[in-house]
Formats: sequence, structure tokens, C-alpha cells
Amino acid sequence: MKNVIIGQYIPGSSFFYHIDPRTKIIAVVVLMVATFLLETIWQVLIGFGIALILIIAGRVPIRKIVKGLKPLYVLLLFTLVFQIAFNRVGTIVLDATMQISPFSILFMIAATIIWRLLASFKKFSLLLFFAYLVGLFFIMKNLAFSPLWTTWQLTIYDQGLIMSGFVIIRLLIIITLSTVLTLTTKPTELTQGLESLLRPLKAIGLNSEDFALIISISLRYIPTILDEANKIMNAQASRGADFAEGRLKDKVVQVISLLVPMFIIAFKRSEELADAMESRNFVPGKPRTRIHDLKFNYRDLITTVITVLCLAGSILVKVL
Amino acid sequence: MSYIDIQNINFAYHPKRPILQNLSLSIDKGQWIAILGHNGSGKSTLAKAIIGLLEPDFGTIDIDGMTLSPTTVYEIRKKIGIVFQNPDNQFVGVTVRDDIAFGMENLGVPQAEMLEKIDFYAEKVGMKAFLDKEPAELSGGQKQRVAIAGILAMQMDAIIFDEATSMLDPTARRELMDYIRELHNEGLTIIMITHDIEEALWAQRLVIIKDGTVFRQGTREELLKEPVTFIEAGLELPVGLQISNALKQMNALSLELEEHLWESSLKK
Amino acid sequence: MGIQFKEVSFQYPGWGKQFFEALKDISLTINDKDEFIALVGETGSGKSTLAQHMNALIFPTSGTVEINGVPITAKRNKKIKYNSIRQQIGLVFQFPEYQLFEETVEKDIMFGPKNFRVPEEEAREMAKKALNMVGLSDKYLTRNPFNLSGGEKKRVSIAGILAMNPKILILDEPTSGLDPAGKKLLMNLFKSIQKETGKTIIIITHDMDLVYEYTNRVLVLNEGMLEFDGTPDYLFHRHDIDKWHLDYPATISVLRSINDKFHYNLDIYQKTIDAAVSTIAKAVQS
Repeated sequence: MKNVIIGQYIPGSSFFYHIDPRTKIIAVVVLMVATFLLETIWQVLIGFGIALILIIAGRVPIRKIVKGLKPLYVLLLFTLVFQIAFNRVGTIVLDATMQISPFSILFMIAATIIWRLLASFKKFSLLLFFAYLVGLFFIMKNLAFSPLWTTWQLTIYDQGLIMSGFVIIRLLIIITLSTVLTLTTKPTELTQGLESLLRPLKAIGLNSEDFALIISISLRYIPTILDEANKIMNAQASRGADFAEGRLKDKVVQVISLLVPMFIIAFKRSEELADAMESRNFVPGKPRTRIHDLKFNYRDLITTVITVLCLAGSILVKVL
Repeated sequence: MSYIDIQNINFAYHPKRPILQNLSLSIDKGQWIAILGHNGSGKSTLAKAIIGLLEPDFGTIDIDGMTLSPTTVYEIRKKIGIVFQNPDNQFVGVTVRDDIAFGMENLGVPQAEMLEKIDFYAEKVGMKAFLDKEPAELSGGQKQRVAIAGILAMQMDAIIFDEATSMLDPTARRELMDYIRELHNEGLTIIMITHDIEEALWAQRLVIIKDGTVFRQGTREELLKEPVTFIEAGLELPVGLQISNALKQMNALSLELEEHLWESSLKK
Repeated sequence: MGIQFKEVSFQYPGWGKQFFEALKDISLTINDKDEFIALVGETGSGKSTLAQHMNALIFPTSGTVEINGVPITAKRNKKIKYNSIRQQIGLVFQFPEYQLFEETVEKDIMFGPKNFRVPEEEAREMAKKALNMVGLSDKYLTRNPFNLSGGEKKRVSIAGILAMNPKILILDEPTSGLDPAGKKLLMNLFKSIQKETGKTIIIITHDMDLVYEYTNRVLVLNEGMLEFDGTPDYLFHRHDIDKWHLDYPATISVLRSINDKFHYNLDIYQKTIDAAVSTIAKAVQS
């Protein structure tokens, strides 16, 4: 009934879907390294351009990638503010006197209210937020009539803008790359790719097969455990546990009332699962065959060539 | 010699509270046997002992001429499969296909052969259309059928059903029972562990377990003649037979009526 | 008072624009006194979803559920204390493992009352009373709930809800997984609680024998719709209940098969085995 599917994978059939997961993982890692070798804003812009072309060619929905960026908005904003406020290199692009007065406070409150009212248009939330910042700037610069409370000088240097652009675009490239990987690769394929790549570590005693099995069983049981956590929460809510409100002292007991059943059920489950696996001839560490085979094809060759070219390019610009 | 020969096994987690006591039982190849007992009688422990998930403190278990031991246990698990009670806690694969494959992967079956068998047995249990589905999208009955397909794909001789229907609703339960009968008709040995007498009466032979040992055993007709046996073991007869027995005590039971009540209770 | 459903629908969200419609346009009234109701239907018919609406664990997508006069709609109202609704309508989940967590039975049963700010001593009294109501003696108070048998755990979990003294008690498949003796014990317990306290009891079950013998009202759900609301006698007099995936109680089936085979004219609507036996005996002897 409820389809809880873990990971960001969305079914599709473009080029990226048919690349071997091992190639994809290595390519993403290599491209990330290449991104970090880039040094100027122009280089990262070109890098970003290449990433965009790849996404469009691979028909990856851009909206999904933007969605993946959401948790990083704060970080991006912080980078911008930090660079603008503290970078004092290069020429001055803006030097404005900012003022605050009772009037401008009223305007700011009004702007905030308008911004929050428009917040229901989720599609444009980022755009609205920037419009809000610009609005605040405009109010502080132009709409402060006397009596003035405070004034300060906002000075922005061109290097501050360029550096923040550089940092942000670099971050964008990296996030885009990893999102493309998780969007186009099933969690099972990812673990299988990892398993295959980690196989040489057997020399130092890490059994990559068992490791991959652990990951894939964890993936399989996450929806089950979430569903169960929800049921336990409802069962305790039926006994008056109020997880939203309530006093701190009560809260401690209420959290325990969730955790204890969850652990007890999980232990019982793992015992039963171990029995089921053993009865189906599972022996840890024993070689197994697999129904899913990883095979390289011409797409992997193309991917490798492009990746190597990108890496070579970024090394070249660094050395030259 | 029987296919499964259990001799005098004892088992206890705690010495003062034995779970199995001097239990002996033999099961022939191709038989459908029901092991009946109330909750806590030790019947599930017996199932685990047969498949080597726990080792009896004393006694021996012989299967197909082999004595169960840490060295033979892997051979024995290639002959006998088990379907457990909770459909969710035995579904190892991320999809139906992966789950059917799990046992074969463990045995090292080549990939091409596996793919062929998965298709064949998924079709057989009616799950072919679901091969790429995840467990969260399946009902309990469907998960149990996937478990059966995984066992069939390993070409086992016998399947133990350890309360395998108890978490299903009546419709899914009936479907599973019908399916088990089909498997039995194809020659598989069926060992059904249950506390549901209606379900047990599908079997040819009943073994009643009480306090960790065999309380009574025999064909279902033999045992049903002494209804008191079931009551002593904490079990309840099907309603038709309860009515028949009560009428008999009142001397109000005609021969035809008795025959009819028995037939309708045992018609399977 | 009691619970009134007014054109209630509920949809589980799915992927994209898909959704799963668990309840469709349900209207019904449940009194908070003297009812013994069975909620039946096959798996996935919406029984549990309906039950969770009754104590405001789930909010309807459209329509209103009025619980003791408090309207519950799709929009959460900050003025309504949903928590106190849950004290009035007790819901026992299928698996006691979902709720047992304390180290003694007494503490575990006290969890509910204490959440509703009942003083320690009073909560202790309520726990003891609730435990006795489910047929367990005081010596269980100090036991560890995890060392109890399946049937005992179930009874302790029911006591945990009863201790809050709800007006209506809802039980999700209370007899599943129990052997015949355990089943009978629990059902007789519900019957006596219902008689002594006058609380309305609602059980979700698949077992038509229990429905027929114990309850006085049946709600049949099929694919999210309320298909039937009436007495069990009325339900089993119908000849089309298999379209809702329901069976007939065993007494009715057995008596009907006798009528068919021997062309008797027995009254097949007998709720217990004893009643069925005396019906047949009378017919045979006359």
C-alpha cells in the first residue's frame, strides 16, 4: 500500500542508467577531484557548463537536483555573506551607507510579512528569498527617514563576489555529480558496485561481500522499521504519550517508551532473520554466486574517456 | 528406514525448564504430517532442531540416512526447507527476484541457471508479475509464496511450515493451504507445525505434542475417535466434530448424521 | 455523545498524484454505552484506518469525525486537545510488543494514567484495578512484562489501556495468534468488562464464530466502504456475504449442511455449539 522506496533513485532509461555502477562511482569521485583542481571562477564556470550539458544529455530532471540542494541553502547563504563581509581584496564595487530608523523598521516588518505571505508559492521560494534580501537592502539604503538610529557602511569588493561565486559553483558541481549518481543508480546496484570496488580490501581482512550484504539487508529493512516505528508511536500516543507537547520530564519517559519496543522488536527480528538466512544455506564468508552481474559495455568506455579528459583538462589548467 | 528419524531428543535453554523431552518421531518420504500443540508446547523448537538451527542436548536426528551434525547440517539444509511464521522476517532480498535467488546464490548455482529457475518457480507460485516488486508492496500471503518459491528453486525434498499461516487472513490462509496440497501431490514431504486443528486435519497423519514430547500420534481418523486426547492437549476439535461428539453422548446421533458430520469436517 | 462519522474519506499519500483511498464516504454513529461491535473485512479493507480515526490518531482527508462532541476534520485545530480524546477512546494495538516497555507490569500499566497527570498513588490503584479486570492477580504487578507468555502480554497491554478508564475500548485483532483456550478466555473477559462497566467495546477480527457468539453489532468494510451496519443475525441471514470475503460462522455452516443433506428444517441460526446440539437433538428425537 505505502510504497516507501529508499534512496533517491527514479526509474529511467537514459545513458546514465546503463553505465556500470563501478564506472559511475569512480567517474564521480574523479570528477570531484578534478573540480577541486580548478582555480578560477572561469574554470569552475566551464566545469559547471560541462556538468549541465551532461545532465541535459542524460535527461536527469533538473528539478530533482534543485530539490537535493535544499538542505544546503543555509551553507550557500553563509558562504555568500561571509565572503562579502570579510573579503577585502580587489576593487570596490559597492560602497553604500546603510541606515536604520523607526520608519525603515516598519518597512522591514512589512517586507517580512509580504515575504512570508508569498511563501506558499514553494516553487519560487529561493527567488522570493533573494528578492526579500534585495528589498531589505533597498529599504536600508533609501527609505530611512529621520530620526536615524544607526548607520553603517556596506562595502563590497569584487573579489568577495568572485570568491563566493567560485565557492558556490564548485559546491554546485559536486552536489550535482553526486545527485546524478544517486538518482540514476538503484541502491542495490550502488552496494554491488561498492562491493566490487572494495574487493581488493580482502587482503587486509575486510570481506566486501558480507559488507555489501549488510548494506543491502539494511536497505531492505528501513521501510519495515519506519513503518513499525510509526505503529509504536501510535500505540504509545493511544496511551497519552504526547510527543509534540508535554513537559521535558515526561518527554524522557516517552522517548524511552518508543525506543525500548523498537529495540526489542529489532532484536527479535534479527534473530528470526538469522534463522531464515541460515536455513537457506547462508554461511558467512563462503563464496556465493550472484543473479545481478556487473558488465562493462561501450557506455563505460565513453564515460571513462570523458572523465579522463575532464581530469586531464583540470590538471592542465593547474599546471599551465 | 524413514526419511526423518528423530530419536530421544532433549533440549533446554535452562536445565530446570526443558523444552523437548525424550521426543522420538519418524516421518516417511512424501508424507503430509501435522505437528499439533498449544502455544509453548515445544513444537517450533522441534522444527528448528530438524533443520539444525539448534542442537539437541541428547538424542539423534537422522535425515535421508545422514545423522545431523555440524558437518552434515549444510547437506541437510539442501534437502529440507522451512517457511517461518512472520512473512516479513524471512524476506532477505530487496526484490522478489533477489529473494528467490538468495538460497541459490548461497549454493553457488550459476547465474544463467538461477535466472531460468527464478522465472519458472515464480510462475509456479503465481508471483511472476511481481518479480521486481519490493517486500513493502506485497501482502503477507504473497511473501509466504515467495519464500516457497525460494525453497522449490533449491529442489528440496521436504518443507516445514512453522505456523506459516498464522499471520495471514482467512482468504490468504486458504490459498496457501490449497497451494501446500498441490506441493504434496507433486511428491514433497510436508511437515506442518500448527495449533489450528482445522489446518492440521489437511494432513494424513497427526502428531500431538505436549510438554515437549509426543503425546499421541496416528492417522487423523484414529485420533479423532478419542476426542478427549485433544482436550487434554489443550486443543479444540472442529465445530462439526464437537457437535457430533455431543450428540453421541446424548444418544441422539444417527449413523448417517455422524457420517455426514465427519465427512464435512474432513472433506479435504 | 460517542463517535459520529460524517461522510469521512481518507487517502494515504502515494507517489506523485497517486494515492490510496483507504476510506470512502463513511457515515456511522457509535454510542459510548452498551455496545459490543465487531469491525470486519479482509486485509486492506480499511479496518485499522477506521479504528485510528476513532481516537484521532489519523485525521480524515474530508468529512468530520465527532468524538464526544469534539469535531475532528482535516485541519488540525490548536484549541483541541487531541490527547484527551485518546484517554476517552482507548485503542489497543494488535501486538503487545508495540507498547510494553517498563521493567514491571505495574509501571507499564501506570504509563497511561501518568501521561494524563493522574497522581502516582491514584495511578497505582488504577493499574491494580485494570490488571484485575483482565483476570490477572496482584502478584503480576511486580513481574517483568517481557517474561510473560503471549496471552499474558496481551492482557497486560489491554490493562494498560483500561487503566485510563476510556468510555470506548477498541481492540485490533485481540485474539490473533492465541490458541482456542486463550481466545475463549479473552472474549469472555471482554464480555464481562462490557457487562460490568457498560463500556462500548469494538473488536477488529476475522473470526466470524466470535462475531456471532459475542457481539451485538457488525460493521463490514470492503475496499474502504461501509457495506453493512447491523446485527450479526441480520448479517448472516444474507446469502451474499462472500462478496465481502466473509465466511459464515461454523455453527451456521454445519447446520445448513445438515438441512441440505437430510432435508431437515432446522433453525440454523444458533450462536453456540450447545445451542446447535440441542436444536439437532430436538429434531432427531421428535
